[in-house]
Amino acid sequence: MNREQEVYARWLDWGTRLALAVLIASFLAYALALFDPLLPPQELPKLWAFPVDHYIAASGAPTGWGWLQLLHKSDYLIFVAVAVLGLLTVVGYARIVPILLKQGETWRALIAVLQVIVLLAAALY
Amino acid sequence: MEWWVWPIALFAVTFAIGIVAVLAGVGGGVLFVPIVSALFPFHLDFVRAAGLLLALTGALSAAPALLRGGLASLRLAMPLALVGSITSVIGALIGLALPTDAVQLALGITILAIALLMWRSGASDHSQVPASDPLAAALRMNGVYHDAALGRDVEWRVHRSRTALAVFAGIGLLAGMFGLGAGWANVPALHLLMGAPLKLAVGSSGLLLSVVDTSAAWIYLNRGAVLPIVVAPSIIGVMLGAKLGARLLRRARPVLVRRIVIALLLLAGGRALLKGFGV
Repeated sequence: MNREQEVYARWLDWGTRLALAVLIASFLAYALALFDPLLPPQELPKLWAFPVDHYIAASGAPTGWGWLQLLHKSDYLIFVAVAVLGLLTVVGYARIVPILLKQGETWRALIAVLQVIVLLAAALY
Repeated sequence: MEWWVWPIALFAVTFAIGIVAVLAGVGGGVLFVPIVSALFPFHLDFVRAAGLLLALTGALSAAPALLRGGLASLRLAMPLALVGSITSVIGALIGLALPTDAVQLALGITILAIALLMWRSGASDHSQVPASDPLAAALRMNGVYHDAALGRDVEWRVHRSRTALAVFAGIGLLAGMFGLGAGWANVPALHLLMGAPLKLAVGSSGLLLSVVDTSAAWIYLNRGAVLPIVVAPSIIGVMLGAKLGARLLRRARPVLVRRIVIALLLLAGGRALLKGFGV
């Protein structure tokens, strides 16, 4: 197996395990009402049938990275798991760039860098 | 109906989707979006975001083992994923900007087309590629993997990489627009168009999907379309269902399961089409 493939697999493996553990723990905290949510679950049926813009306007839920300020709310703790899932590929690709350069694979290193830029642009849009 | 009934029902349905998806060899996303949007009260925006995250989680979970076994190739996936991830962002932006009826209509047409594609696609092996094209050769889109069933190493290379880049741009657009994942299209494109061996195409499809869906998922997340009460039970349900599906795989009759999936897609696609027409 190629060295970069081995390293990429290792990062995905551990990152996915971490994300799933956080997802399950945070959902249990939310479902068992271990601490307060921003929006009580019983309020959701009034809003979940509407488009996202309507939901945001009516609930005051954050957009972008605003969820980072609401990590003390049980419904937003789950976003940590989602963000880990979303950043795994970025971290994995960034990690293999020096390996590809060391192997003299400049074109593939360039593709990896461009991929990181695309994913970060999507994350920060 | 009480609010808590919905996440429990969602868990049950996604658990079943997880089983069927593994048995039929499709990603969960392609079943999740049409079925959940047809049966549950959640708006399509939230269902698409959950569909992307569900497909992403499944693909990321499977990728390490496939990469280590050589059944997924970073060399093959990287250039295609770059193009697909750019267009999936565009697809997600279009999907969130269009009126819901228009998206439902387009979703219905796409799902029915996927059902047709699955019905017509055979299991023939078109992996004989005499020589790589210049672009594939420059990007070193070739390699070797060990096929345990054959008991030997299989050398592979691909061709038609320029056409493939255009096809994956289209696949990324649809994946982002409808939150479908893209395994249903990745495998035929990698195998039938580029000539990658079927096993490598299936393995690399998940790897591609994990990159393409990540970029679209960020757009939905940043717009606030991630509803924890939809996302968490769905991901947990599909993951557990997939584990049971993997155990049942030996005893299942693939042809029958495939027919069930096609029937489900026809029903869900038809329902989406009707919703799009306001019926």
